[in-house]
Amino acid sequence: MIQNFLSMNSYGLFVWGSFAITFIACGLLYYKTLKTLKKYEREFAREINELSSERKKVVIENSKIASQVLSSSSKTI
Amino acid sequence: MFKILNLSNIFYWIEKLIGFINSIFFILLLVALSFALIFSPPDYLQGDSVRIMYVHVPSAWIGLASFSSIAILSIAHFIFKIKNIKLITKSIAPIGLMFTCLAIVTGSIWGQPTWGTWWVWDARITSMLILALFYIGFISTHKFITDENKANKISSIIAIIGLINIPIIKYSVDWWNTLHQPASIKLTGESSIHSSMLMPLLLMFFVLILYCALIFLMKYKTEIIRIKKKNLNRL
Repeated sequence: MIQNFLSMNSYGLFVWGSFAITFIACGLLYYKTLKTLKKYEREFAREINELSSERKKVVIENSKIASQVLSSSSKTI
Repeated sequence: MFKILNLSNIFYWIEKLIGFINSIFFILLLVALSFALIFSPPDYLQGDSVRIMYVHVPSAWIGLASFSSIAILSIAHFIFKIKNIKLITKSIAPIGLMFTCLAIVTGSIWGQPTWGTWWVWDARITSMLILALFYIGFISTHKFITDENKANKISSIIAIIGLINIPIIKYSVDWWNTLHQPASIKLTGESSIHSSMLMPLLLMFFVLILYCALIFLMKYKTEIIRIKKKNLNRL
């Protein structure tokens, strides 16, 4: 039964090949997107941290995004 | 209403939505794959090779829908000059390109057992290849043109010209004599696909749409951070 399922009545190579290509491509795009997002988050958090404490305070008070990125990056650290 | 459209609020909701999609995605994927690979019946003519349809058809739909959205949003960008629109189109394009390529590749794999060939210069297949080229043109302008306004303008023109190709893809099987079969699922009129195959197909489509939403949100979030980072550097 398992052999039948894997061979898909001799269409196994085509069926499994199509599904594999689809999921590998989806996985790679997910990985690349996540990697880029994390890189930008890290760089943004680092740039905020490099600001003088006064300017940093102003940026965090005025930008919800900056404070969210800072808090999420400190969580990952 | 406009408060919701504020980038900070959008950013907050993006985080929530990414978390939500991540929490349900793998369960839904397992259910959809079980239906596509186990529970759905083989076709009376094509046998088990019909299962390729469960990745091929949703990929083609997503490729077409993504480009249509990009083109319509590009027209809106020309009229209203809202910068946010360009962030959205830039985030959709890589998803659309990947699914268009997947539709071509999986279609080619399906073609071998059903038509006896990997490739023919058939109207449907060729017009899908042209769609992939439009996507590559759109993405390349953002990658290689450093002047953002110029890149936005050129990419919008590419998207609007590419919109002409969408009805050509849709009706290619009716206008020309092609190897590709006509549409089995119609929005208006009766579909010629049995519910035992239609249900897994729609389920796979839904799961892949969720995946697209996840990638879109992550890319959009990256674009927002990129802009905020740029503004920080200007300070």
